[in-house]
Amino acid sequence: MSISLLLPHFITDYWIYVFTVAFYYAIMAAGWNLLGGYTGQFSLCHSTFALIGAYASALTVVKLGLPFWMGILSGTIVTLVLSLGLGIICLRVRGIYLALITWAFAEVVRTFIRVAYEFTGGDRGLNSPYLFKSVKPLPYYYLFLSLTVLAIILIALVMRSRIGFYLRAIRNDEVAARAMGVNTVRWKIFAFMLPSGLAGITGAFYGHYIGLISPVLGEFNEMAMIIIFVVIGGMRTQAGPIVGAISVRYLMELLREWAEIRIVILSAIVILIMRFFNGGLMEFLKRAKGWVRKREAVSAYASMREK
Amino acid sequence: MEGQEKQVLRLENVVRDFGGLRAVNHVSLQVEEGEIRGLIGPNGSGKTTLINLITGIYKVTEGDIYFDGKRISGLQPDVIASLGIMRTFQVPRVFRDMTVLENMMVPALSQGQTRQEAKTRAEELLEFALLTRLKNEPAKSLSGGQNMLLQIVRVFMNKKLMLYVMDEPFAGVHESIKGIILKAIKAMNQEKGITFLIVSHEMTTISNLCPKVSVLYRGGVISQGTMEEIANDPLVIDAYLGGQ
Repeated sequence: MSISLLLPHFITDYWIYVFTVAFYYAIMAAGWNLLGGYTGQFSLCHSTFALIGAYASALTVVKLGLPFWMGILSGTIVTLVLSLGLGIICLRVRGIYLALITWAFAEVVRTFIRVAYEFTGGDRGLNSPYLFKSVKPLPYYYLFLSLTVLAIILIALVMRSRIGFYLRAIRNDEVAARAMGVNTVRWKIFAFMLPSGLAGITGAFYGHYIGLISPVLGEFNEMAMIIIFVVIGGMRTQAGPIVGAISVRYLMELLREWAEIRIVILSAIVILIMRFFNGGLMEFLKRAKGWVRKREAVSAYASMREK
Repeated sequence: MEGQEKQVLRLENVVRDFGGLRAVNHVSLQVEEGEIRGLIGPNGSGKTTLINLITGIYKVTEGDIYFDGKRISGLQPDVIASLGIMRTFQVPRVFRDMTVLENMMVPALSQGQTRQEAKTRAEELLEFALLTRLKNEPAKSLSGGQNMLLQIVRVFMNKKLMLYVMDEPFAGVHESIKGIILKAIKAMNQEKGITFLIVSHEMTTISNLCPKVSVLYRGGVISQGTMEEIANDPLVIDAYLGGQ
């Protein structure tokens, strides 16, 4: 935590920019982990809610001339309303069917933004006014750092409350959860709305940071990256998605010169992690701790015998 | 309420169709408060379907189900559970990735108990079920019998429990676990006055445990009474031995 607070003083603007973007993905990954990980609703439209939030906010500020906070608010409200509707539609579907419905929703939204270009700017994109007057990344760094911390706290509070019990019970066995008195309808919709609202707010801020938003934000690749961050970091762990997003974004920047080969390397990492540590980096750390302890125990035993 | 006994559960002409198949055919059944009622019948006679109808997992095609005087057919399973009817499943349905203790917490938290209260109660029940040493293990590491035991004691976490519907609680469990289950049923029935409706194929156990037994055959109740009475009922003999 203190490292992330002090870090900007030791790195160039370029790297500050990189980490700010990484924070955006960290929040997205943490949100998807709540929905796809803990609750088991494999949604493929999580990045779409960020896209919606970004456009809703930018349009509110640009077309209606309202202040930023109104933009962020409208981004949040629009995503909450849409995720409520989608959550109700998705109540009775699971697994691949839920994935397909949410993917279709993502495509509809993205295509709509492209087609309604007179209003949205279409593929050329939409200028989203900068939140802070300058394009210097430092204030944005702290903004996204705070948002990340807030998101982590919010999700941790939810998972530690009784809602966390319900969501995990629903993922394990929805029928049994209902038979045990859990209002699965309410909590499944909640599990849809909370991360989507979070994505909406984050997307809205992100738009006012990058300055030019386009339907690319809602492409399937974006969604796949978020899932990859969660998987690499460790699904159903609280730190996993954050660790995954930041470390992979960092790695991708280090490998920037290698251009497309990066994707091959990333894919190879995903395959290796899936094969050997399907709990991701968090499981790797846990096991590494175990190895160290084992070695310590062995050497302690050895030195004891020598005496 | 007619009679001195209070009816906890009343099914009136309940019908359930699956497409062209009538799984439950005009079943009327009453269970009185404090009873331990057995429900037997050959495979495919509609016992599990009937449980699914009572607990709201299936909706009735026709007829009504009343619990404690209130109509419950048409309500959602979680609402029915909150009213005081809970159940177990033939194949134990535990929350596999959650620990034994966390499994116990779910029905208590969903019914508004505080975490501390729930934990204390869970620990008492786990002690009773001899599962204490496994309380922090994920449920998936338990054996089949332990899973059955866990799903059975988990229901007792609900303090508002009035009617406990069990689907084959003795199937495939070791004698020692069966002993614990029987002890739990008797204790909860005597101390808390909980009513039980137990589906089972274990005739000896049912005849020892249940003063009154109902027999389901081809989706309908064909006989009712003590085990001795129904064992001599020609309709029941026919049903079980395949009437020629």
